[in-house]
Parts: sequence; C-alpha cells; structure tokens
Amino acid sequence: MMWQLVLRNLFHRPMRTLIGVMAVAVEVALVILIVGLTSGILQETAKRLEGIGADIMVQSPAAQMLITFSGSPMPIKIADKLAELKYVQAVAPALLQFNSTGGVETVWGIDAKSFRDVSSGFVFLQGHDLQDPDDILVDDWQAKAKHIKVGDTYNLFNHKWNVAGVVEHGKGARLFVPLATLQELVGAHDKASIFLVKCTHPDHTEDVIAEIKDLLPNHPVRPLKEFMTLMTSTNIPGLETFINAMIALAVSIGLLVIFLTMYTTVLERTRDIGVLKSLGASKVLIVRALLTETTLLCVLGIAAGVGLSYLVRAGFLALFPTLSILITTEWILRAGLIALVGAVLGASYPAWLASRKDPVEALSYD
Amino acid sequence: MAITVTIRSRMDETTDPERKTLEPILKTENLWKLYHAGKVEVPALRGVNFDVLPGESVAVMGPSGCGKSSLLYVIGGLARASRGKVLVDGNDLTAMGDAERTKLRRSKIGFVFQRFNLLPTLTARGNIAIAQYIHGDGYDPHRFDVVTKMLGLEGRLHHRPSEMSGGEQQRVAIARAIINEPKILLADEPTGNLDTKNSDIVLEMLRRLNRDLGQTIVMITHNPEATTYFDRVVHMRDGIIVDGVPAD
Repeated sequence: MMWQLVLRNLFHRPMRTLIGVMAVAVEVALVILIVGLTSGILQETAKRLEGIGADIMVQSPAAQMLITFSGSPMPIKIADKLAELKYVQAVAPALLQFNSTGGVETVWGIDAKSFRDVSSGFVFLQGHDLQDPDDILVDDWQAKAKHIKVGDTYNLFNHKWNVAGVVEHGKGARLFVPLATLQELVGAHDKASIFLVKCTHPDHTEDVIAEIKDLLPNHPVRPLKEFMTLMTSTNIPGLETFINAMIALAVSIGLLVIFLTMYTTVLERTRDIGVLKSLGASKVLIVRALLTETTLLCVLGIAAGVGLSYLVRAGFLALFPTLSILITTEWILRAGLIALVGAVLGASYPAWLASRKDPVEALSYD
Repeated sequence: MAITVTIRSRMDETTDPERKTLEPILKTENLWKLYHAGKVEVPALRGVNFDVLPGESVAVMGPSGCGKSSLLYVIGGLARASRGKVLVDGNDLTAMGDAERTKLRRSKIGFVFQRFNLLPTLTARGNIAIAQYIHGDGYDPHRFDVVTKMLGLEGRLHHRPSEMSGGEQQRVAIARAIINEPKILLADEPTGNLDTKNSDIVLEMLRRLNRDLGQTIVMITHNPEATTYFDRVVHMRDGIIVDGVPAD
C-alpha cells in the first residue's frame, strides 16, 4: 500500500518529478564525468609514459607528477652523467612544452636517436622519423582528430611545422618535435624537462634508481612500470581538492533541488497529510512515505544520470577524440550513493515538517 | 471476518432506563479548548459536559463558530484539550501525548469530513485500503467487500476521486472511516457539500450503519432535517452545550 501511495504521488505531478529526476541525473553525471575526466587524463598520460619502453624517468626537484604541465627544465648535461652510471643502457632527454592554443596538448621536444634508443622506436603509420629542424611527428589519434596527414603544415608556437610522420599512439606524447628547435623556440637552451633512462636489464631498475638518487638528490626518480599506480588524483597536488569541491558543488545542486521539490510537495499535500493523520498515521509513517518517494525519485535520477554520463562522454569523444573519460563501476556506485545521501538529506527537513503538521490546521488548508 | 452486530435501541437520556446503566463510550468533563490569537485567548469550548453511549447516534447542532468542530476535533484526538477531560472507551485523551492519541485515533476513531478529504492520487479502493494499512492489520478482503457492498461502491472502486460524484466520494470516505471497525464515527458536516438527493443517501447510510451495525456516531450538522436520522440532538452555543433532546 505504501508503494502504491508513493508511486501514485510520484507520477501525480510528472513535470515536478521529471525536474527532480533531472536534477539528480545532472548531479550524478557531473560527479561521474568530473572524476572520469580527471582519472581518464591521468591514466591516459600514465599509459603513454609506460608505453615509451623506458625504465626510469628523472624530473627536476620542482616538477609535478602530472608532467603535462611541467616545464621545470634541467641542464641537459645531466644526460651524460646518467649515461655513465652502471646498468644504464641509454638516456633520452625531452623538453615538454604545454600548448593551449587551438587545443590542449603537450609537445615533446626529443632527440630522435636517443629517444629511439630508450624506446623501441615509433611505429610509423605514415611518413618517416624527425629529420629536419621543422619536422613534427603526430600520433594517430591527433591526426584523426585534426585531420592531419604527412606533408601538411602544422602551426604551433607561432611556428610552421612540417608533418613528417604519423605514428602509433602510446609513446609519451601526441606531438614530437626536434629537441633543439623547441629549445630555441621556448628559450630553453641546453635544457630538458625529463630524462628517460633505459637500463641494461629491467631487473637493474632499483639499483639504477638508487644510483641516480645519490647523484641527483631531491630529484624525483620514478620507475615507469609503477607510474600507472602513482598517477592518481591523491598524488597530484590540488587535484583531489578540486574533485571534492566539484562533487560538493554537484551534491549541493541535487540537494537543493530535492529540498525544493519535496518542500513544495509537502505544501501541496498539506491536506493529504492531515487526512493521513486523521486516519492515525504516525509521524514515522509520514516521514517514511516522503523519504521513500524521494528515494524512488533519486533512483530514477541515478539511472538517468548514468545514461547521461555515457551520452555526454560519447558527445565529448566525438568532438575531442584525444580526450579520455574513464567511467568506472566504482564511481557509478559512489556517485549514486552520494546522490542518494544528498537527496535523503534534502528531503529530511520537508519530511520532518510534514510529520509535525497540526492535523486540524492541515485539514483546513486550501 | 464477521462484523459485530449489536441490537440497537433508540436511546433517550430521559426515558431509556438502559442509558443509566451503560458506560458512555465517549465522555467529556468540563472540557475547554482555547485558541490563541496573538496574546488573546479565544475560548472555543467553555466547559463542555457531554457523553455518548455505545451504539448511540448523536447530532450536534449550532450556529457557526459555536465550537462544534472544535468539539469534534478534541474528542477525536486531533486537537488537544486545554482543560478538562475526554474519555474515549475509558482512555483519557487529555493525559495522552501526540503519539498515544494518534494510536488511539487509529484504533478507535473514524472521521468523515464535509470536503470528503480523499487522497486525490489514489483510487476509491486505495483510499479505503490505506486506512487498513495505517491501522496495521493489513488488507482484509472480507471486511473490504462487506463495507464496499453495503455502501454501494463495488462498481466505483477503480475510480479516482476526481472521477466520482460528491455523493460517491462521501460514501468512499464513510467506507474508509468504518473499514477498521472504529468504536466511534465522527462526522463533520458530511452532507454540507452534497445536494439533497445525495445528502439523503449519505444520511441513510449513516443511519443503517448505526441501526444495523451498532456504530456509534457523532455528527455535526447545520441541517435540521439531518437530525431526524439520529437518536439524539445536542445544541451548542458559544462553546457550551445548551440542551440535549431526543429527535422527533
């Protein structure tokens, strides 16, 4: 009987119910997409770093884990010192430059030979390796997103680049240019942002890391094999706070809409509440009826929110194919739970208000 | 489940010797109800002494504002008395908290209102069944069938209030009020929103409930003709009962 009452009440005002459901849906979708976008970018970056094939990455002391935004150049001579260490097979310096003009991307300035030595080299889908100072390599995702082919001109940092090759994705960046040219363009002569180190055998990674730490104290030295596990929002300064703030914002929107929806519901049903009280309905029963209705509305909203998340992701990926949005079951459940708790909190005051209504006043309410 | 049928007799305070031996099912002693308008106390009931015997039907008449509805709400446990005593089936309402009065209302009182007060989202069946649900004994199909048949509602059970006439809605409200076999049925101007024909039908239903099932009824009315359906008429004025005379 309770369910019948709840269901019929829920569908009595379809527009109000729809607005409530959509508010929860937007809340859930926001949480899923914000977390999905950040973890997607982090994981994608980590995958690409792992995909290089190097064993160790050395950064400057002030560098961030999320190397996309990390300039922090170090003297390139460090590469020679690293190359002298025992069990080091090859060292490749790279200068990273963030570009937000015409898209969000990080360009890697590399030395073609040393980069080939630490990685197993690019897989070329079109064209050839970097040969001329103005050559640029583009990975297949970027090429597809921007409809680029070999021979095209690519404008970057107010410089015209010649697309020399299209390579398979997963080797650190989506755009590669000659190290010397990039150094010249950004005014970082003889500087590098990271050093990629290849050991003579992966088993020597720990030994080499220890040696580097002796040689370059305070420099973050990370094994690339574990980079995926390190690349979480908690390891990126400020990111966790940003995510939590966004989630709090989304929950606040959901909570306020549910509060308003249930508050107006209680006002509209004042007489009905009086009738239920005249029949002997307890305060608990009235609270339960309203919270059950809220829960049902919220469950519908969660389902719609999950659908909306996939829809928005599909839309984003169609517009920005290089973007990575990771939707996980864990975060779908978390977002659902967050929305449910927010909705129940939002409905609690109206429900409490309803339970305390004076039955005589409620029965005479127009 | 069988419906208890008690033998009814028209009870007269002055002529019926049975009345003197029976314990009232409803009794008020020096009952006061005060409302507050700002700092001013407005008395709605001013020392009402009133009793109703089991199986009796009583009509309460009086001009608007004389305290009829206040009396009904207080004896029904919807409002708290300011002073005095209200005994319902031996239970003192004035000594009870909100929760206890709610419990008592659930088990011993049925209400019928002038504006029907059906839940608009539920069908007639749902409106009656919700009373059973709240009562806690769950859906009793036999009792449900007997009551709906007696009130001529069998063909209207799937209709919502907005799809029924006023008379039909009031019959659903009566069915809802008696579905749990309350000790007392309290009716607040049940014919106030009905035309003559439907008023007569509803009043006849109440009379049958009283005569055939022994249902104790207290009804508030403005309609002098309605009082002919009741055993006793009580007149109120300015918050007090001014007399208590038999009908006819």
